[in-house]
Amino acid sequence: MQLCIFDLRRGQHEGQELDKILFFFPADCSFSMQLSVIGLSEGLITFTRIFSPEAACEVIEAERHSHVFYQAEPDIWMVMVVEKNKESEAVWRSAAVQGVLKEVHSLFTMFHGSVRALLEKQPDGGLARSHLYSFIMDYLNDFFVGKKLQLPSFRDCLRERGTIQMLTIGREAAIEVQSLVRVLESSCSGNTPCNSLILFQDLLVSTTLSPDDTANLFTYAVLRLTPHALSYNMNSWSYLRKGTAASHATVHSSLPNPGSTSEEFQYSSRDTSPGRQGSGYQVPRPLKRDKWSKGKDGFLVTDIWGSDAGCLNCATPTVWLQQTGECVYLSIYQHKNLTIIILIPVSSFINGEQGISWVKQQLLQNASLKILKVEERLSRGWGGENAYHVSGYRYLLADNDRNTSRASPPGKVTTLAKKSLLALGKLREEVDLEKGRAKRDDPGHEKDLEVCIRANNNAWIIARSTRGKELYMVLEKANETLLYASDAVEQFSNRYCDGTFSID
Amino acid sequence: MSDSDSNPNPLENPFKSLSLNESQSIVANEAVERSANGDSVNGIASEEEEENTVGLIRAAEAQVDESSSSGVAWRENSQYEAEDFAPSSPSSSGYAGERGSSTGTSAGPIEEVGNDGIVRADSFSNAGAESAAPWVPGKRHLDEDDASISWRKRKKHFFVLSHSGKPIYSRYGDEHKLAGFSATLQAIISFVQNGGDRVKFVRAGKHQVIFLVKGPIYLVCISCTEEPYEALRGQLELIYGQMLLILTKSVNRCFEKNPKFDMTPLLGGTDAVFSSLIHSFSWNPATFLHAYTCLPLAYSTRQAAGAILQDVADSGVLFAILMCKHKVISLVGAQKASLHPDDMLLLANFVLSSESFRTSESFSPICLPRFNAMAFLYAYVHYLDVDTYLMLLTTSSDAFFHLKDCRTRIEVVLLKSNVLSEVQRSMLDGGLHVEDLPVDPSLRLGSACPHLRQDRIAPGSPNRFREVNVGIGGPSGLWHFIYRSIFLDQYVSSEFSAPLNSSNQQKRLYRAYQKLYASMHDRGSGPHKTQFRRDENYVLLCWITQDFELYAAFDPLADKALAIKTCNQVCQWVRDLENEIFLLGASPFSW
Repeated sequence: MQLCIFDLRRGQHEGQELDKILFFFPADCSFSMQLSVIGLSEGLITFTRIFSPEAACEVIEAERHSHVFYQAEPDIWMVMVVEKNKESEAVWRSAAVQGVLKEVHSLFTMFHGSVRALLEKQPDGGLARSHLYSFIMDYLNDFFVGKKLQLPSFRDCLRERGTIQMLTIGREAAIEVQSLVRVLESSCSGNTPCNSLILFQDLLVSTTLSPDDTANLFTYAVLRLTPHALSYNMNSWSYLRKGTAASHATVHSSLPNPGSTSEEFQYSSRDTSPGRQGSGYQVPRPLKRDKWSKGKDGFLVTDIWGSDAGCLNCATPTVWLQQTGECVYLSIYQHKNLTIIILIPVSSFINGEQGISWVKQQLLQNASLKILKVEERLSRGWGGENAYHVSGYRYLLADNDRNTSRASPPGKVTTLAKKSLLALGKLREEVDLEKGRAKRDDPGHEKDLEVCIRANNNAWIIARSTRGKELYMVLEKANETLLYASDAVEQFSNRYCDGTFSID
Repeated sequence: MSDSDSNPNPLENPFKSLSLNESQSIVANEAVERSANGDSVNGIASEEEEENTVGLIRAAEAQVDESSSSGVAWRENSQYEAEDFAPSSPSSSGYAGERGSSTGTSAGPIEEVGNDGIVRADSFSNAGAESAAPWVPGKRHLDEDDASISWRKRKKHFFVLSHSGKPIYSRYGDEHKLAGFSATLQAIISFVQNGGDRVKFVRAGKHQVIFLVKGPIYLVCISCTEEPYEALRGQLELIYGQMLLILTKSVNRCFEKNPKFDMTPLLGGTDAVFSSLIHSFSWNPATFLHAYTCLPLAYSTRQAAGAILQDVADSGVLFAILMCKHKVISLVGAQKASLHPDDMLLLANFVLSSESFRTSESFSPICLPRFNAMAFLYAYVHYLDVDTYLMLLTTSSDAFFHLKDCRTRIEVVLLKSNVLSEVQRSMLDGGLHVEDLPVDPSLRLGSACPHLRQDRIAPGSPNRFREVNVGIGGPSGLWHFIYRSIFLDQYVSSEFSAPLNSSNQQKRLYRAYQKLYASMHDRGSGPHKTQFRRDENYVLLCWITQDFELYAAFDPLADKALAIKTCNQVCQWVRDLENEIFLLGASPFSW
């Protein structure tokens, strides 16, 4: 796998091509190789614009590699080159690979702001490069299984990256959660509204943020903040991450300075201009593992943003909200399985640290009891790991408007035959293309689509898309008639999707 | 020969036993090499064609003398086919002279030179009898190049170029002006190749760029038609096949000798062949089904035609094919020789798109790429009436008189047994109409109280009062179907009828079928058994068994259960009619 980020506005003159490159993985790849990947990518972006000026190159499919493109910001491109090895495991949807690029860029922007802004802050690019390098390397770390980087493959076709998984709660619980949210908001200083997210285990209970910001924070929480993520070393929270612990050493050793978190980071590996040599940057690494822990007061603490340097403001983490462009403090309280994220605008305090501890105090005073009660109620209603398993079905349900998804538990998906998963992966690719078309042709109008395939291993492979909602399903060991399969979808729809996918 | 498979290996082909390969390929090489050296044949032609029509004829005669003395191709009539001289493509004449495709010309075609040579006067009637303005083959938009906005906005480009980046063919625009663009395509392909890989396609928004490398020849399609990659790649394969049909694969040797070899002269004058092939990519299901279709005829009529063709085949003719437009009337192969449906498609396209074949009997070297890509065969082509033509294929370059005799015999028998008049009647009647699908009593009962699907519409739905009596198609909202018999390599497709009236609607359905075909035959996980697909345009049903493939299109509101039932009825109907709509076991062909 290769992953590169480049800026088309840079390195326009001959001999300066290296200046385009903002990130390249693996870092030990020769410059000529790096330039060759970027050369081809840039060439095809230019070429495809001849015919398709509004949407440049998305994917190059070759016999042995796929190049998947993502235009992260104007003129800033991310390209992932994935190799198709002979083992047929290397089959993926390009949209799923693109999802990885999109996710890492969204997270990066949430913590560090846009790449363009970093480049403008320091035009020689050193700042942007060092931020990108540490951030993406920490992000990729999660994908290592042993020494191998495991990218999303057809086996993940019943998951949707970048979406939020919600906890379903009853009416009573919902009312209690609502009242908790109100208390949280009132705990902040009165004049500036603050936002909150509440998670139970790895599932979202409530949010006051926009869907995009919710998705980013939710992703981060599940990666690093929830009880599962915190106890990661003892208990891997997902089948995907099994064996990741073993790979820590591998990846970390390739990082320039594994010891410190907020480290003097030298971008020496590709520093070509002498001016940049030796200049180091303070780079917080919010995705670095095992850096969060639960303090005595129930709030999560970390030294990622530094705590010693005598800088009071930088100890509390901050993130950028996409919707408002606002910089907010990130404060996380955890009680058993309940994780509460409170976002307080930086602008609301003159003295940040003092303000934050005041808010924390307020929260402990006003909300402790409610938090206990909510946690208790949710725990009582919680159906466990397989809560959302529907027997006989393997499914993925996605809501594009709300950015949410629900799916069969991963453990259950592994029981499916490889053939079924391959067929579903392929069908999803088809639906992806249709969706892209519909979006281009008429953005306001979501196409309705129903596909039901009897694969040659006798599994039913089903895709439904209607009014911004999508349902994918595999039914193995099902009756051979199409009507049986349709009935199965109908029943599922009526029971679990409020009849969204029902015909009548 | 149990092998009805669609991929006969040319190496194992029994044709080899006829021991003609070697000499044939020598002939082919001569043809190709002579023009590769840019000898006088080309020279004369391209100079002469600037002159008036008299000059054209003289030039042609000069060519004919030379090529016939070299024994490349025999020709009955020494007049050159003026139509091939398209003034706008300067080197076009070389090709026809080389290939020796000759016909007797009247004054008619010569007058066409007065045209701009782009749009030919003859009408191409395959394109869809229903559409008002018939599609006309030939190159368009010659004035464009890659700098033109209009050129960039064309929905589907096809390019053929050499591995050194020289343009060979472009669907739109003048190849010579596209040299720079061509070099770009070559650069992309070789850049990836240098990395030890092979580029298959690039996707950008609506657009796809599909690459196909065939030795020294590169084919590229740039399309925003949203056809699946597999379909577009198949179309490039067919374009390559069409080139081989004209030149054989031995053209590769020219590139071995001279990488910068310019192939355009060899294909000069064949624009109409390629444009009509490309046009067929949007209406002819044979291009993606890899099967051919027959003209519906009474069993005895087809038998009568088959019998006389068989007679002829026994006298040293490799294939005898009687066709009406793109539909087969009968077809007979010599012992063990089998004809791939793609070869038939390319051959029929070649004949139908070349006006010269219509005007008199012709004897022309052609290559059947799936049969033997290295060698030329010789095709005797004669139109028996305006749409019906006979093709006799042989390996012998001096069989003209024999084939002419054969044709006379065949013609006499066909006239005597009324085959030709039956063919014309069938053309008028058309094929299967979905409205005629026999329904069983229970279904009939349902459809009697009009209309099935209306029962399903919930009260208050805006569709409730939709006028269903206009253009409802067949029972249960059946609009159209294609049935492909796997053993026979044949398909039958119902006629377009309301509501699929306009050619745009037909093209959209064609593309939907194409997508369905690709989805069903996915390489990784297919072929699937059944597929039901509903979108805002159709309900599509596909059913694949060991014996057949059925593709059916219904009204988007069609009821699932009734649609399934109707599909079963279609299959039964087709089986009941198979004696008339298919060519059955007439010969060792494909069995």
